Amino acid sequence: MSTPPPSSNSSLAAKPGQAGIDPRSPRFGAGITAVLLLIVIALSLVAPIGITTLERASEPGFVLFSIITVLFGWGAIAGIQRHPYGAIFRALVRPRLGLPTQLEDPVPPTFAQGVGFVITLAGFTLHLLGVPYGLVITGSAAFVAAFLNSVFGYCLGCQIYLLLVRTGIIGRSAATGT
Amino acid sequence: MDVITVALSLVGLVAVSTTIGLVWRARQGRVSHRGADTVVKAQDVPGVERFAAGATLVQFSTEVCAPCSATHSVLKETAADYTNVTHVNVDLTHRPDIAKRFRVMQTPTTLILDSKGRVRARIGGAPRPGSVRAEIDRILAT
Repeated sequence: MSTPPPSSNSSLAAKPGQAGIDPRSPRFGAGITAVLLLIVIALSLVAPIGITTLERASEPGFVLFSIITVLFGWGAIAGIQRHPYGAIFRALVRPRLGLPTQLEDPVPPTFAQGVGFVITLAGFTLHLLGVPYGLVITGSAAFVAAFLNSVFGYCLGCQIYLLLVRTGIIGRSAATGT
Repeated sequence: MDVITVALSLVGLVAVSTTIGLVWRARQGRVSHRGADTVVKAQDVPGVERFAAGATLVQFSTEVCAPCSATHSVLKETAADYTNVTHVNVDLTHRPDIAKRFRVMQTPTTLILDSKGRVRARIGGAPRPGSVRAEIDRILAT
């Protein structure tokens, strides 16, 4: 069951020289993230926000949210292939599933991790600054994205990437070089 | 906030997300015939010198697009089943001008053009092979 899929598939799915990934792995990871974010939102809603920075920094919902933020940062910088949830998927889930019907390029889910990192880092900062519902609002936004990715295979990162291309934030500078 | 309200908030969040997902999925691959009067010039599409005698499948992608490679395979294989249909993939990453000109709001977006460059169909999201085939057959029959 652990045999890698045929290379003819990966050539369709990934850029040359880069191995494709099992598309179910990032969706599994997004599922864990979505569940953890629901817990964060619940914990933040039941208790009022702390008065001092130290109180706010030690709230259980915030601690969990910080871990999620760090994991998004890890996925964005190290790449989705090195994400800890990917290791869990390979160890526990993949052996119970059949081979994937196709492999996917790791770039979109890695970019999506970066989008998740930006959203959760904003929530992290707002909460430490004492903004009420900062965690709930950014956590809910991140939840919607993670849930849609996990359950429906929707790629918010792909959508945001296109919008950044259209506004000239990504891609345009390279156009003069080519 | 009491526990019941919190629980209801979470259920509401999941319900809203599920609704968004179902609407999105229902719209994926939907074929639109609006804009059928638009005529595209071959020189406006990178990688195209002239349009195929039957139909040209123009796929818009970016470098960050999870469903684009599967769409690429579907369109390439569909085009290969016809002698007079070609498939061209346009990477918008460094061409925001093309993204704006063709009003591409999601990737992949596919235009199905006839031999004169008229936009006969537009498909947002991953296209279903059957509907691409049906559109090509409709163009070839006219």
